[in-house]
Amino acid sequence: MSEYDISEIEKLADGKLPWTRVQEIMRLPKDTDRFFKWLRILQSRVPWPDRILLPLTTALFVVEKEDGRRIVKCRCGHEFDDYRVNWKLHALVYVRETEEQMREVYRGREMPDPNWVQIREYYCPGCGTQLEVEAVPRGCPPDFEFLPDIDSFYSQWLGQPLGGQPYQFEDRTQQVIEQWAREDLAG
Amino acid sequence: MVVGRATLKEQAAEYDKLFRETGCLFGLTELKRKKEDPGTYEAVWHMLLNAVNTGWAVGCKVSSSPIAVEGGDAVWCLHVPTGEVVCSSRGITAHPGLLSMLIRRMIDHEYEVDPGINPGDIFENNDSHFGGIHGPDFQTVVPIFYNGELVAWAAAVSHVMDAGFVMPGSIGFLNPDVFTDGISFAMEKVGEEDSYYPWYEKRIRTRTRIPEWVLGDARGRLAGCLTIRQKFLELVEKYGIDYIRDVLKEYVEDGRRFSLSRVRTQMIPGIMRKSNFKDLAMKGKRVILPHQNIDVLFNLPMRLEITGDGKVRFSLKGASGWVPFGENLTPEALRSAAMNAFSHMVGFEMFNWGIMASWELEEPPPGSWCNPYPQNYFAATGVGWAPAVMWLSSMYEMFGRLYYSRGYVEEVAAGAATTMTAEFSGFNQYGLYTAGLTLEQASNGGPARAIADGETSAWCIYTPNADFGNAEVSELYYPIMYLGRNIEPDSGGYGKYRGGLGHTAVWMIKNTPGIEYQCGCAGLRSKIVGNHGMYGAYPSWPDRGSYAIDTNVKELIEQKKPLVHERGDPEEPDLAKNIKARILETNAVAPFVTPAIMHEYDIILHPISGAQAFGDPLERDPELVRNDLNNGWTREWVARDIYGVVASYDADAKEWVVDLEATERRRQAIREQRKARGIPFRQWWKQEREKILRRERMDDAVKTMWATACELSPDYGRDLKAFWKLPEDFDFRS
Repeated sequence: MSEYDISEIEKLADGKLPWTRVQEIMRLPKDTDRFFKWLRILQSRVPWPDRILLPLTTALFVVEKEDGRRIVKCRCGHEFDDYRVNWKLHALVYVRETEEQMREVYRGREMPDPNWVQIREYYCPGCGTQLEVEAVPRGCPPDFEFLPDIDSFYSQWLGQPLGGQPYQFEDRTQQVIEQWAREDLAG
Repeated sequence: MVVGRATLKEQAAEYDKLFRETGCLFGLTELKRKKEDPGTYEAVWHMLLNAVNTGWAVGCKVSSSPIAVEGGDAVWCLHVPTGEVVCSSRGITAHPGLLSMLIRRMIDHEYEVDPGINPGDIFENNDSHFGGIHGPDFQTVVPIFYNGELVAWAAAVSHVMDAGFVMPGSIGFLNPDVFTDGISFAMEKVGEEDSYYPWYEKRIRTRTRIPEWVLGDARGRLAGCLTIRQKFLELVEKYGIDYIRDVLKEYVEDGRRFSLSRVRTQMIPGIMRKSNFKDLAMKGKRVILPHQNIDVLFNLPMRLEITGDGKVRFSLKGASGWVPFGENLTPEALRSAAMNAFSHMVGFEMFNWGIMASWELEEPPPGSWCNPYPQNYFAATGVGWAPAVMWLSSMYEMFGRLYYSRGYVEEVAAGAATTMTAEFSGFNQYGLYTAGLTLEQASNGGPARAIADGETSAWCIYTPNADFGNAEVSELYYPIMYLGRNIEPDSGGYGKYRGGLGHTAVWMIKNTPGIEYQCGCAGLRSKIVGNHGMYGAYPSWPDRGSYAIDTNVKELIEQKKPLVHERGDPEEPDLAKNIKARILETNAVAPFVTPAIMHEYDIILHPISGAQAFGDPLERDPELVRNDLNNGWTREWVARDIYGVVASYDADAKEWVVDLEATERRRQAIREQRKARGIPFRQWWKQEREKILRRERMDDAVKTMWATACELSPDYGRDLKAFWKLPEDFDFRS
């Protein structure tokens, strides 16, 4: 089984390894301790102490707060909600739905038809990182790209159960929508 | 347990039962041959691989059609007697699963009894109702007997250049129904004693436009299968039938185990969702039947669930309705296509049926584009691939996300390119009628990685054998001359890492009394963008074609004036700047057939897409942007406005120079602009809900798509309406 020095994994993730070495790593059986080394690398790069449980994107992580809550947090420190709620509900969103708005990115023959598709850009309210871009027709709910079953992952797959009370594995996005509906759409 | 000499049907039923009971294919809870002698086990595997790849080489060369000879767009396989594929050659590896299901279907239909399965028999199918994916993909199956017993099958698929559709060629997006889906072979015995029946040739000669190429492909498929049979029987002689019989099954079970172990050690349990769409805008264009004068948007949602115990399930809940075009697909074909993408991303040591047995695909909504027959048994499947390959793009991205989270960054792929085909039909430079596909689309840009840009013009979703063939050879097949085959700048989206770039072919029609160009859909997007970006990247742009008919190119050549070699600026294209023509279109929404016959000196610009990008473009290394500027692979305004890179051209040194400090200031300013223009999601949700209720900026195609998706998958519809708090009886169409 392969095993790599953490500094080599860091170089790999940063795109700094020679391509021939990357190909070699692709060909070899995977290193089984990669995830924990990956967490160490990511943890060393954020300016806050909360424990990273899982990276969701290049900027977002599921973290465990001191009080045991598991939330989504940006590398800049901005905190979203419970990780079982689609983090997009707590992001800033900018939607390109007119030709003028689209032209800033897509010109002439490169422009899609605004009656068929809108370009949704999701930004971190803290640092302005563009976290995701969706290209969807009106009516499409935002994709909840990944709802991880964190407890099963740590206990059954990694053999290292997380402490505390296990979280119920469920999508809680709709609960937030229901609350908003009660507060914003009343009457 | 079946006692004595079981029929194939009994064997298959027994294997299914054993799989249900033990969770292992063929009930193989142990791989005894592998355990006893791993060296021989491995060696025989490679000999079998060699046999099928020799079949591929022989078959492609025997075939005379450009798609096989020049593009290698075919595949040869070896199967166990009950159909499960053991190993596959290089080529179009989306088909081995379908070939397995075809053999199983023949067994289920008791072909052993009628018409009988004998040494030297040849069976063929291209009908979606019986295991085909679309008409041009002809499937050939040959039983392999040893001492009177059926011990294996050799099988092949090749894509013929003309399938006898209502329109010439093999990309039948215009087919309105099965009656226009061309020549049909429905699980038929088409030959015996290693020869095709005389009627087989007659049918091809009367029902395809270029029978020599179609018959050449038939001979190629058969030659490849007979090559496999010969090599396989040599191995039987060498290692003994008992050993070979055992290891064939062990290889398949081994494939399943490998796939399962990869999921457990490299993925993460949970639920993933990815929306995905595909347009087919035909309103106002040339169509076959009046009811096709419509625009269509497909909903191609993917839901992936990986359970804590490692089970993998895909769902297409929410898929929109079947369409009156050749872009419907059967669930069997979808499964086989998914086997290909799954194996790309999850990996394999032994590419075979075992991969298919390691995950489940929930039955797609009956009546949807991916399961049309319950509502419309005559739905056309002329190019069923089209929506399937677009749906599969989500699979790349989903597994890419899992790899990233798990730390295997070297395995990430951001999402696939699209497939816009070019077909010609008419009389060629030899005075012969020709119809068929160029190979341009078989070499897209590759998906961006988490650690590097995607490769340029070196990737194809339906074959790992990406190859657009030689321009000079294509010029021999078709009456065209290449004026350009250039990398298209910025065609791989905008991101920290961009997708591999596509290229644009520029053709001048030459030496023909007249020819038609069909800009076909084998998985393109033209009204909407290429797909999503991943982790904050912008998607690649829509596929659009260009052409000029009745041009002044002859005069321009005589006057030695500039022609057109690339697309140029998207708002001031080279075609419009340099060429005058009676009909000139620089921004044609695809797919389409040109409105008039094309003649010498007419021009076509056919772009092939790049793939999806990865990450926020503001995080792209300025040095990569500088490199792209120097190569002509990105444009100044993109570098400045999308990547936030402040660069200037040094005319003396003939290269771009980046001001790093100014770049950092500009990038920070763009981030602040984002924060200023972005609004809280909650506020947008409330505004957007009102716009949905008013159906604002929703083309009829969008409304119809949502309506059929909600009708065919009621729980999907309930969830969608609940998110926006729409009335339960809200009808998107009214």
